[in-house]
Amino acid sequence: MTTSPMICPECGGEMNHHADKLVHSSEPPGSSANHHFEDGTVTEFHTCGKCGIGAARQG
Amino acid sequence: MAETTNKRLFIPVILGTTRQGRMSAHAANLIAVELAKQSNVDTEIIDIGLLPLPTNNAGEALKHAPFAALMDKADALVLVVPEYNHGYPGLLKHLLDTCLKEYIHKAVGIAGVSAGPFGGVRVIQNLLPVMRELGLVTIFWDVNFSSVQNVFSAEGALLDDSFIRRIDKFLKELIWMAQTLRFGREQVPLNG
Repeated sequence: MTTSPMICPECGGEMNHHADKLVHSSEPPGSSANHHFEDGTVTEFHTCGKCGIGAARQG
Repeated sequence: MAETTNKRLFIPVILGTTRQGRMSAHAANLIAVELAKQSNVDTEIIDIGLLPLPTNNAGEALKHAPFAALMDKADALVLVVPEYNHGYPGLLKHLLDTCLKEYIHKAVGIAGVSAGPFGGVRVIQNLLPVMRELGLVTIFWDVNFSSVQNVFSAEGALLDDSFIRRIDKFLKELIWMAQTLRFGREQVPLNG
C-alpha cells in the first residue's frame, strides 16, 4: 500500500484515502501488475475534502 | 460535518433505456422534478439514448468523457430502469461499466419500471450486486412504477398522486446517504 498522501490536482491539498478495491487482472502471478495480491491489484480511491473531487491510483 | 452538509449535492437521474416510446422517460422526468424541489440539490437527467455507446472497443477507449465527468461530480445517482425479461437493459450495464473510480462510496437509488404488476422489483434485485461491485452504496427505499401505463398518460402526465409521497421518501433517504457518504469520502480515512 502507498503511504504518501495523494495530492489534489485542483487545490494541492491532501486528499482523503477512503477506499481500496481489489481489481482482478489477467496478468500472470508475480508480474508487476499484480504484486500486491496473487490474483489482482489494489486500487486506492481518494477524495479531496476541499474540492470534493475524486482520484484513484494503484496501491 | 456542517461544512460538508452545507455543500450542494449533485444527484443526476439516469434514464436507463434507449428504446423508443419508453415510459421510463416519464418516470425519470417526475423524479427529476421532485429532486429539484429538495433543498441544496442540483439534478439533471442523463438520457443514455443520447450518449454514444460504442461496442467495438475496450477499456478506457469505451469511456465517454462527459458521462465520466458527471459521475465524478455526482454525490449520488438515481437509476430509472425498466425491467426487460426480468433483467436490466444491456446498454445501461455497458455504460455503467465504463466508470469505476467515479462511483466509489456514492449513494444510489433505483426506480424500477414495468408494464406488469411488480414494478421492476426483479430488475432492482438483479442490479444490487452490480451496484455493490461498482462501489456504489444502495439505499433501502425503491420506487416501483408498476403498470406504468396507468401511472402516466401517454404525454407523461402523472395519473397517480401517491407517487409524489413515495418519491419524497425515496429521495429523503437518498439525500441522507449522499450527505453521509460525502462526509466519509472527504473526511474519514480508510485506515483511521
